[in-house]
Amino acid sequence: MSMWPHQDTIATQHMDVIASSTTERPADARSLSISAKRTASPVRFLAAPGQIVSLIVLVLPLLVALYMSFTNWTPTRGSLLNASFVGFDNYAELLIYDTRFLEAVVRTFLIGAVCLSLEFVLGLGLAVIFLREFRGKAVLFSAFLTPMMILPVVVGYTFWMLFQSNGPINQMITLFAGQSFAPEWFRSAPFAVATVIVTEVWHWTPLFFLILLSGLNAVPQNPVRAAVILGASPREVFWRVILPMLKPVIVVAFVIRSMEIIKLFDEVFMLTRGGPGSSTETISLYIYKLAFNDFQLAYGAAAAFLVLIGTLFLINSMLLPIREQLLKERR
Amino acid sequence: MSTPKLELVGLKKEFADGSVAAVDGIDLAVEEGQTLALLGPSGCGKSTTLNMIVGLEQPSSGDIRIDGRSVVAVPPGRRNVGLVFQDYAVFTSMSVRENLAFGLRVRGQRKAEIDRAVGEVAELLGLSTMLNGNARDLGGSELQRVAIGRTLVTRPAILLLDEPLSNLEAGTRLATRRELRRLQKEAGLTIIYVTHDQVEALSLADWIAVMSAGKIRQVAPASLICQQPDNIFVASFMGTPPMNLLRGALTRADGGYVFRKDAFVVGLLPGTDIGEAADLPVTIGIRPEEVRLCASGEAGLPARVLLAEPRGSETVVTLETGGQVIKAVIASDHRPTEGRDVMLEIDAASLVLFSGETNRRLPMIAELRA
Amino acid sequence: MPSRRLSPLLGLLLILALVVTLFPVFWIVMTALKPPTDWNAVPAVWIPAKPTLVNFRTLFDPEAIREYGVGGVSQSASAAVFGSLLASTVSTALSILIGLLAAIGLSRYSSGSTATPLIILSGRMFPPAAIAVPFVIIFSAAHIIDTYSGLIAIYVAATVPFSTWMLKSFVDDLPREIEEAAMVDGQSRLMAHLTVTMPLIRGGLFATTLFIFILNWSDFMFALVLSYGRIATIPVQLAKYVTATAGTLYGVQAALAVLAMIPLVLAGFAIQSHLARGMTFGAIKR
Repeated sequence: MSMWPHQDTIATQHMDVIASSTTERPADARSLSISAKRTASPVRFLAAPGQIVSLIVLVLPLLVALYMSFTNWTPTRGSLLNASFVGFDNYAELLIYDTRFLEAVVRTFLIGAVCLSLEFVLGLGLAVIFLREFRGKAVLFSAFLTPMMILPVVVGYTFWMLFQSNGPINQMITLFAGQSFAPEWFRSAPFAVATVIVTEVWHWTPLFFLILLSGLNAVPQNPVRAAVILGASPREVFWRVILPMLKPVIVVAFVIRSMEIIKLFDEVFMLTRGGPGSSTETISLYIYKLAFNDFQLAYGAAAAFLVLIGTLFLINSMLLPIREQLLKERR
Repeated sequence: MSTPKLELVGLKKEFADGSVAAVDGIDLAVEEGQTLALLGPSGCGKSTTLNMIVGLEQPSSGDIRIDGRSVVAVPPGRRNVGLVFQDYAVFTSMSVRENLAFGLRVRGQRKAEIDRAVGEVAELLGLSTMLNGNARDLGGSELQRVAIGRTLVTRPAILLLDEPLSNLEAGTRLATRRELRRLQKEAGLTIIYVTHDQVEALSLADWIAVMSAGKIRQVAPASLICQQPDNIFVASFMGTPPMNLLRGALTRADGGYVFRKDAFVVGLLPGTDIGEAADLPVTIGIRPEEVRLCASGEAGLPARVLLAEPRGSETVVTLETGGQVIKAVIASDHRPTEGRDVMLEIDAASLVLFSGETNRRLPMIAELRA
Repeated sequence: MPSRRLSPLLGLLLILALVVTLFPVFWIVMTALKPPTDWNAVPAVWIPAKPTLVNFRTLFDPEAIREYGVGGVSQSASAAVFGSLLASTVSTALSILIGLLAAIGLSRYSSGSTATPLIILSGRMFPPAAIAVPFVIIFSAAHIIDTYSGLIAIYVAATVPFSTWMLKSFVDDLPREIEEAAMVDGQSRLMAHLTVTMPLIRGGLFATTLFIFILNWSDFMFALVLSYGRIATIPVQLAKYVTATAGTLYGVQAALAVLAMIPLVLAGFAIQSHLARGMTFGAIKR
């Protein structure tokens, strides 16, 4: 109970005035968010369309897919509502017997690891060069961003063309090394995997470059100077001082690229369609084939949820080293 | 006299656009074991001077000598000078131990030696218990100690500290000041402080070098610089409030001289010889601490109290006398009320005269007394 | 301090990287300009002696494309270009509208929006092939499969989190006091946002619009699984040409690829300084 009954009464009356007020004007501009809740203002519903859209078009399909993954439904069996429950059969099948799925997971993981490592090293190297001053820097900066501005399907198509057996890459190899060194890129598994990696690295190194360069430019200068005065060589300054300060930015870049590479589809679809055999089949490509070539929709949904769980686990463990910093920034 | 630890000779820094020299030919010598504060308003060139001493910037001309040897061509890491940044610039990705060890690690020293040196310095700075903690979790004064320790480990010939107290809370300033004094004595360090804050400078250093517009205006012991400013700039910069400066003329009277500006008249010490300065325009300097108030009726200059601003044990009193406005610092328990009439007494021995032409101090008063 | 200038070795590396970066773009543009005899030439024709726009004309000429028609593809690209333009612009406009409202709402009138990034991230992590499956089922039931309405709905849904999040980061950058001053002047909140907030985030609105357009225009998977002949987009059409002709149609395919590429490269350069913000959900602001 308040010690000051008068004030309580005054405050209540004051609130009544605000509540019954027909004008939109808040009594005190500083208490905007509070008074917005009291008055029936349309601003309360600003986020509603977005929330409804997210709910209907993101959450609902996820729920449908989740439900489906516990059934044995295929389009030929009639309505999804009449599908029979099979519990965790689909998940068990995937994890224990489906070597093609497990191979796709491992393959996607390996391709991702190789791609991300290369993209990181190349992007970082390029970003470090861009810390220096040279003529035409602004134009070159834009030029180096070009690949990431091109849509994946076109990138896939372009590299498919470049890697044709009589395409420009093989013609260059023939020119410099001889015909015998020019491979049939899409007919042998290791070479087909190589085309996927080259395409991805070309396409997304600019993203690493962009993120790492903006991170490098934001690195505080005094610790760098301190290290120089303490006698560190430029190399030691870079590895021991600059790079550790860049860690959060590096993690962000890796997280974003990992999320994308797990979904790798468009480029591979255009390049190899997963072939030869299933040697370049990624998770997404396998799920696509399950759903739209073999109509194993329920089974595909189960596979997708396994991937989602794996991804969440992976991303979470990637964010672990910078967790403290993220939390600090939020506060 | 032995070779100075640090010597700046005609040091000059002009920037590429050639407009104004940031540092305009300064000469300075710091002896081993001395502490000196480079004091000046922001933009006076003290940071550029600091950067040139540690090697982050190259001078346009002039020389920097450490132990008599020129270091202008020596890269920053080999000059054997330590710098503690205003924001400390501690390596937040490392532990306290790694921070302290950094300078020796990059010099390729053996682990046992590094451990011993780190242990010694940590002991000296009271960091022993937090060696394994992450530098990111430390507070202001701890960060500063890590930053100091990080350079001390490399046994620098000279230690430079940029605005060492400005990033600390009021409560920790006093302790830090004491700590820095102790450290300097125990380790026998040669320290240069760079600061814009004269309280900080006076409390930390034995010598003060006042800088403005790229030039050094005066180098003097901290204990003397307020009483004997070399020129009007230093007089108007040092002290809170700074010296009262009045421009007027000297006239002969009763075998001595009196300073006169409008109705304001004050006599110099009897027997003062001002030589060639007689009859020329001069500026007189009156330290606020040397102005005394007495009750009206006693002998002195009649004055009226315009304003009395207490600041703890002292009060800054603004007075009007003979058409001039003068500030005085007096003990708060003798504080007059505003608007009252009082009498002023100015210690003639403390008066300082500046040439009206060169704005430099006229040396005669000190000479006569001696 | 490390040297600020470029050594000859680094300059050389930079030029090499530039060649590798630009060669694929150069190749596809050149191929689009090559007459049919140069498409598959050995040794390769790097720069066509007589650049021609014949490939682009073929693309929009049903008669000409039927001549190449292999494996049943005889459709000109007109429908696909129309479809891409329609679906991308309408869905971008809707996504921005919804996103802008939500951004102002979340930035100014909500405290507990911490779950939002998580939902966005989960949506982004789910394999698109699998999220397409329930859409096919729901859209079939709603009879909007193989229609632009359906495609637009899915594009809006996929990009609203992006537009909301990116616009919110721009609204967050504005000091509240500006809007509050307008409200005290007697304007309603909604009006204050329209007349004060909107103009102030003009730059951010422009960047977000182009960014969402890029996302929509780039889509391949959703259009692939939701189109059964009545609707088409450029990426799906390109895939069809490649599948049907097994590579004999380089010049025409390249022409379509170039058409798909041009608006995106232009949009991308226009919002270059905001790309990092868009791609990292505002985690990196420059």
